Amino acid sequence: MSASAKKRIMREYTECMKDTPAGMKINFDEQNMTKWEVLMDGPEGSVYAGGHFKLEIIFPNEYPFKPPVVSFRTKIYHPNVSNDDKGSMCLGLLRPDEWKPPNKVVAVLRLIQSLMVEPNIDDAIEPSIGNEYKENRKEFEKSAKDWVKRYAK
Amino acid sequence: MAVAGDDERTEELETLQSIYPELVLDAPFAAHIHLPVAPTIPLPVSFEPVQEVHRIAYLPPLRLEVDLPAEYPAEAPPKVNLSTSPSWLPPATAEILEKKAHALWEEYSGEQVLFAYVSHLQEAAETAFGLSELTLPDTVQTELLEYSKRMKRELFDKETFDCEVCLEPKKGSVCYRMERCNHVFCVQCLQDYLNNCIEEGDVNNVKCMSTDCGKPMPNGKKKERLLSPKELLQIPLSLQAVERYATIKRKKKIEADPTIIYCPRSWCQGAMRTDKYPKIDDVREMDHSDSEAEVPMEASPEEQPTAAGPEKRFVGVTGMDRLAVCEDCTLAFCKVCLASWHGDFVRCEPRDKNQLTEEDQASLNYIMKNTSPCPTCSVPCQKSYGCNHMTCFQCKSHFCYLCGAWLLPENPYAHFSNPGNRGCYNRLMDLAEGDMVEGQAQFGGARGAEQMADFWEHEAMRIQNELNAQDS
Repeated sequence: MSASAKKRIMREYTECMKDTPAGMKINFDEQNMTKWEVLMDGPEGSVYAGGHFKLEIIFPNEYPFKPPVVSFRTKIYHPNVSNDDKGSMCLGLLRPDEWKPPNKVVAVLRLIQSLMVEPNIDDAIEPSIGNEYKENRKEFEKSAKDWVKRYAK
Repeated sequence: MAVAGDDERTEELETLQSIYPELVLDAPFAAHIHLPVAPTIPLPVSFEPVQEVHRIAYLPPLRLEVDLPAEYPAEAPPKVNLSTSPSWLPPATAEILEKKAHALWEEYSGEQVLFAYVSHLQEAAETAFGLSELTLPDTVQTELLEYSKRMKRELFDKETFDCEVCLEPKKGSVCYRMERCNHVFCVQCLQDYLNNCIEEGDVNNVKCMSTDCGKPMPNGKKKERLLSPKELLQIPLSLQAVERYATIKRKKKIEADPTIIYCPRSWCQGAMRTDKYPKIDDVREMDHSDSEAEVPMEASPEEQPTAAGPEKRFVGVTGMDRLAVCEDCTLAFCKVCLASWHGDFVRCEPRDKNQLTEEDQASLNYIMKNTSPCPTCSVPCQKSYGCNHMTCFQCKSHFCYLCGAWLLPENPYAHFSNPGNRGCYNRLMDLAEGDMVEGQAQFGGARGAEQMADFWEHEAMRIQNELNAQDS
């Protein structure tokens, strides 16, 4: 990774520290700054409220010309998060063809927070969960809350 | 006669010099100053013979010369002379401005007026002295345009910009302003980004990095323009990188065009000659910046081999002209049988696939086994990771990696959530870690299914043969 890329990550971290979005904690290791661990609280009022989710952000070598790779390390029942042991996400800003270098990690974190309040059904990576959200909201909420209790406490 | 030191004129010129340090004293009571002319709205200027109108933001400065007679200020007005070099200010305008000195002196009834006059000129310069347009002889064109450009650059150099990519404040002298959209980035970040795109062959991303760039189109997507080779050289990128960019961009267009046939000589493999994609001769002159969405050029009629030659004879279907000429080695060959040109009257046999070299066969086999073709442009795609909703690297089509079906760009995932699509239902994330797990192709997408079908067909044949052998 180039020195300028490291410098930019460092700057973004400093900015994040000055103005951390509510309900988040960022663990940063200066020795390995290309991998951030973020602890995100389920937003109040959402089905994930009360849960604590661990996320991993990996910066590619070409950062910021390529998007960071985000994954949920805590299992979450959500149409936009893959329902496997990877918890990967692949939408909006995070898609390589939509990412632009001035985008920042903070924007990514805010996107994730807003997706927890309202999933993006049109871009569901888990279509079955997306369908359930659309057609059987009660069932969806039950499973989501159940998973929070099971995995995110 | 008063001593210079006590003179009111000396006092006034000294005061003026402390306000405008650029004021130059030419004699005890004479001075000159250059006043910048940067109208708030750039002045439309055309040069004879009129071809195009240039909007000039910085005109060469106005030179004001003042000469204060002994009777000034009480009994005589200041003598002023206005000029520009090269001369662009119309004499009539200069005269009006010069008369203003007299008018001001009268208005001030014999008081010192130089400061008021200079302020007046400065104010008038902001509106280009009331000029709405200007026509000048073309002898001054280069000088005026160069001057404006140089001033722009000098002012830009002194400014400070926050580069949105490295997030650092940078002096204008190490920044670049994009020609079309005016976004500013530091040269280092632009070079890193663009060189990276060009190196990876991702020429469709050679465009402005800004998030709010590109005009929104009716379908909600943004239409962004690729940067022209000429602009890339200004940033500057190396000539070598820009040449690579232009070459790849052209190659992609040729590859996406199914009507283009390649030279059969294995050491050449150049594309056939066509007017549709002119060869690149000098990237420094290429200032067009086509967008990805641009409509391809209309096919142009083939060149006649010799202008005076016999009339073109059509063989078979009209327009089915089999003669092609390689643009690299100039071999004339037949588009159908790929043999060297045999004339119109020879019937050519379809190619025999055994003619492929071993190497070609091996790579063809690999492609057949391990890739899915894009349904639009047939470029072979291989998934490295992620879901089975693919976007073609070349033509941006959305398609399903498993079955090769086109997907709706607005809702590509519907394909995977429709139980009717038995093959793909709920399989969006199949093999998300990529085809090449531990170096072994696990699943070859659409073509993989064909391979499996072939395999089982062979297997069935083998079993049948075995059974037949047992029976006999």
